[in-house]
Amino acid sequence: MSSVLYQKVVKSFGALNVLRSLDLAVPDHKFLALLGPSGCGKTTALRILAGLDMPTAGKVFIGERDVTRLQPRDRDIAMVFQSYALYPQMTVAENIGYPLWIRGTPEAGRKAKIGEVAAVLEIGHLLDRRPRQLSGGQRQRVALARAIVRDPAAFLMDEPLSNLDARLRLTMRGEIKRLCQRLSATTIYVTHDQVEALTMADFVAVMHGGELQQMAPPIEIYDRPANRFVATFVGNPPMNILPAALCEQGVIVAGKVVPLDAARLAACRAASVAEIGLRPEDCSAAGVATPDALPGEIYVVEPMGNETLVNVRLEAGNVQVRAGRDFRGVVGESIGVAFDPANACFFNSDGLTAVHRVNNNGRVT
Amino acid sequence: MQTGMQARKYRLQGAGLDLALPYLMLAPGLTIVLGVLVYPLWDGLRASTRAYRYGSPVSHVGFRNYVQLWSDAQFLNSLWVTVKFVALSVSIEAVLGFALALFCLHEFRGIRLLRTVLIIPMVITPVVVAILFRLIYASDAGMLTALSEAMGGGGVQILGNPLNAFIGLVVLDVWEWTPLMFLILLAGLQSLPHEPFEAARVDGAGSWRVFADLTFPMMRPVLAVAIVLRTIDAFGTFDQVFVLTRGGPGEATRLISIYGYDTAFKFQQTGYAAALFVTIGLVVLALAFSAIRLLRRIDAS
Repeated sequence: MSSVLYQKVVKSFGALNVLRSLDLAVPDHKFLALLGPSGCGKTTALRILAGLDMPTAGKVFIGERDVTRLQPRDRDIAMVFQSYALYPQMTVAENIGYPLWIRGTPEAGRKAKIGEVAAVLEIGHLLDRRPRQLSGGQRQRVALARAIVRDPAAFLMDEPLSNLDARLRLTMRGEIKRLCQRLSATTIYVTHDQVEALTMADFVAVMHGGELQQMAPPIEIYDRPANRFVATFVGNPPMNILPAALCEQGVIVAGKVVPLDAARLAACRAASVAEIGLRPEDCSAAGVATPDALPGEIYVVEPMGNETLVNVRLEAGNVQVRAGRDFRGVVGESIGVAFDPANACFFNSDGLTAVHRVNNNGRVT
Repeated sequence: MQTGMQARKYRLQGAGLDLALPYLMLAPGLTIVLGVLVYPLWDGLRASTRAYRYGSPVSHVGFRNYVQLWSDAQFLNSLWVTVKFVALSVSIEAVLGFALALFCLHEFRGIRLLRTVLIIPMVITPVVVAILFRLIYASDAGMLTALSEAMGGGGVQILGNPLNAFIGLVVLDVWEWTPLMFLILLAGLQSLPHEPFEAARVDGAGSWRVFADLTFPMMRPVLAVAIVLRTIDAFGTFDQVFVLTRGGPGEATRLISIYGYDTAFKFQQTGYAAALFVTIGLVVLALAFSAIRLLRRIDAS
């Protein structure tokens, strides 16, 4: 296993800049999730690491080795593709054994290794089948088996779960996490699904518009988003953003003065804060007469079983509130949205986070 | 009462029309098929069991025409020439077409133009192609002779020499029909999924192994179809030979089609020629069927 390093990597197709100077370091034995909306450059970044695409500028290192100009086969990596990319005319055993066979591993050693990984992934009974005789989940397991059959410097995974149905995705998510922990493998995992990124990874790198927005452990990404994009992209439902104007005691949000303590007010002033961000779980539904609550009316009510999502229309825009499962409000009803200003993030006018929340429900920030 | 009867009348009309409509619609097509396909086939089969004199049937001979074929040295020779011709041309076309298709899969400047240029030969009328090659091969003022003389050599004998004439014919066929192979195989290559190839590169395969382990096995069904199509087609090659050599020199390029033509129109043995073509038809049919069964087996494995 090895660390992975991107150094000022640029990729453009003609006038289109897919990656603008990506700097990213993945520590040895760590699981990194590259997270972002489609077109953010995350798959391109992975393909450059694999050697399937060449960067326009910059360097890529695997361990101490500069692999920027090396062929994929000389990089000592294994990759799992979104479409599984199994070899259709080979049996499952031949598929799994291919990386060994191509490197001239003798048959006995190959067979033993195939049997071993097949057992880990519980596909031992499928070894004589061909890919098209398998279900999606089984194909996924074969693709994983083919990747782990060798002991490469790094595992690359390109949205490996996105072709599976929702239920199977949940199971495989846990299994891939277990597998990677067990192998203690350096893994780069591309996904557009924040739940996958947060649940599986040691580090999450959020990308947008060909640029790295933030790289941090999942909890920190959630609690201390570096900017407005990360704040609204990670979290479901996303963070509520409302315009906030500075005043004497604090900020004015939706026509109400939200008082801030002296330290935070000073920080907000210094950064000329323009927006406030509130996680839906930090907001609560309150009576319309509650003194500090923002007044609004119920726009949509979505019971989820374990909780109820309430969309409230305020003067300054709509906000999502996570209410209890026993919430009984009716659409059109007047309601107040209460929150503790200590839980709020503040963004300045160019979207950077100026002030993080201080109260982390007992977590250290 | 009145309305009830009317309703019944309409229903009957409707039902009658519904029943007749499919047949009405089929009638024109069926007539054409019967007229230009089934009847000639039937007529040919009937002719093959008769003896002819001066173009008219004079007696029924049963299967004697068919039996006679197998002791006819000229027939056996033309069959052998045809098999050699088909095997040689089609295999060269397959290899060349595959190589060109692989090459044209890469994207580079001018690739579209190259792809277009490469398919020109197959859209030229076969007779025109043959005339073109006769101009190239001609021993007195042909292009090859001119080239050879320009380089200080002597005249080149192509059509006058049995072996050279046969090779010349194969070259013509390869020139004209490699594009078809190329086109079918290029379409096949372009329809293959990308990811397995990328996976193989990551897994450690070089270009030769990628070709041997992935491209070729995945292309086998397409290749088989292309070869079967070309083989059936090549068995019926007529116009190019007719224009280029008429089957000569001697019997060197006398394909089965030329021999059949001679039998029917030069020697006026209509019945014998019919038996010959029916036999060849059956051979090609058997070939096609076994090829399709082979394909199914490849597909199933």
